[in-house]
Amino acid sequence: MTRSRPPAPVDLNDAGVFGDGIPHDAFAVMRAADGLSWTEADDRVGAGFWSVTRHRDVLTVSRDPDTYSSAVGHIQIYDIDPDALDARASMIDLDPPVHTRLRRLVSAAFTPRRVQGYRAGIRRRVRRALDELERNGSGDWVSTVAAPIPIGVICDLMGVPEDDHGYLIELSDHLVAGTANEPLEPTAYGNTTDLRLLPFNSPAAHAMASYALDLADRRRLEPTDDLVSALTAAEIDGERLTDDEVANFFRLMIFAGNETTRSAMAHLPLQLQQFPEVLAALMTDRSLLGAAAEEVVRYSSPILYFRRTLTRSATLSGTELEPGDKVVMWYASANFDPAALDEPLAFRLDRSAPAGSGAGHVGFGGGGVHHCLGASLARLELVELLDEVLTRGTRFGEVGRPRYVESNFVNGIERLDVAVGR
Amino acid sequence: MSGADGPELVAVEVDSDVCIGVGQCELLEPAVFRVDDDDGMGVVIGSGQLAAERAAAVIEACPSGAIRIRAGDT
Repeated sequence: MTRSRPPAPVDLNDAGVFGDGIPHDAFAVMRAADGLSWTEADDRVGAGFWSVTRHRDVLTVSRDPDTYSSAVGHIQIYDIDPDALDARASMIDLDPPVHTRLRRLVSAAFTPRRVQGYRAGIRRRVRRALDELERNGSGDWVSTVAAPIPIGVICDLMGVPEDDHGYLIELSDHLVAGTANEPLEPTAYGNTTDLRLLPFNSPAAHAMASYALDLADRRRLEPTDDLVSALTAAEIDGERLTDDEVANFFRLMIFAGNETTRSAMAHLPLQLQQFPEVLAALMTDRSLLGAAAEEVVRYSSPILYFRRTLTRSATLSGTELEPGDKVVMWYASANFDPAALDEPLAFRLDRSAPAGSGAGHVGFGGGGVHHCLGASLARLELVELLDEVLTRGTRFGEVGRPRYVESNFVNGIERLDVAVGR
Repeated sequence: MSGADGPELVAVEVDSDVCIGVGQCELLEPAVFRVDDDDGMGVVIGSGQLAAERAAAVIEACPSGAIRIRAGDT
């Protein structure tokens, strides 16, 4: 059978396509196409790839790691060599059962019950950030509020001292910038590792690994109750984690805990400006805060996509897939699929299906073994931020035009000027 | 297991090969599930029995699909 290959209507490898946020029109064309849309091979990303844009297909791919592997190819669109795959691998790049064993080393720290214990610390960070913004009356919402809160929270969990938070924000920023078109010098941060072996091809990944191993050395001598101490003490089948495993774990947690929640928070003033009725509804009924947090995540879709690679033949929405094929799950499309969500372009507080379920959003992933580890933590951070805004009666005045991160992978905002008052 | 004056009860279990310790089960049904603080995995507390409707909800809410109705108990 000949494979039908409807071409993607835009160049999905061009970060500029995402320069004004999610390209909803292009995704609507792909959701309506016959089967999966195709992007041709090119020298930026290697082999061509299929785009998975429908909500139901994202669920199918997410929940079948035996067919749609995270380990046999890269989880970003661009291909990397097998030795680079090995060197970079953290649990997000692995399949069961190895993934499962690694994830359980840290999963207990992120359950809905356990994250409640972080509430007071989160609220303290929220208050500090809003205080600073209000003192000035206006400023960059991203650097003042959206960036420091999540990095502070994840660094506290990992055991990174407060004085180093700024350094880790800087490194995390460079990782994302590495996916765009402005790489650091290859030798930045004293890097001597071949860039293709580093996550995001970035010297900042080397710096983060060095930082992690230094912190791990200190925790081996004097363990505390933080996650780096737990990682240094953890055993899998009687074996301690290697230095590379500890470093890759640390990098993943810092990046995933920082970048994603920051992106969600960064979009909040834009969403509240576009949907002014939301704050009023929350003011009347704070039990809707959880529903609001879910909509913030869905509407911002902080991670635009993850890729999987076929281990065997499969058929998806009528498209016949072959072993080795690359499929890219566009969460930013599935989260606005009218086949799964009523009025997807509306911000609604009455969507009740749990995230990742058959009818819920896929902002934390489409279910399956890679479902967002930090989902409960991200929800709590967003609820605390919204709750504090309501409690203070913070009013948003003029909201500037967002400057988006140049990336087709994260829906980040670099800068968003806002005016606030009460 | 259905009683004349109560909801139909079923017993649930957690597939330890699949569970990734997300903890949605514990959030929804704290009397039935708990994520173990040491090994990060969901376990069933006690008999694992709950109303069929609530079992269906918690099975649906588990992102990894690790919860199922125990065979022979329904």
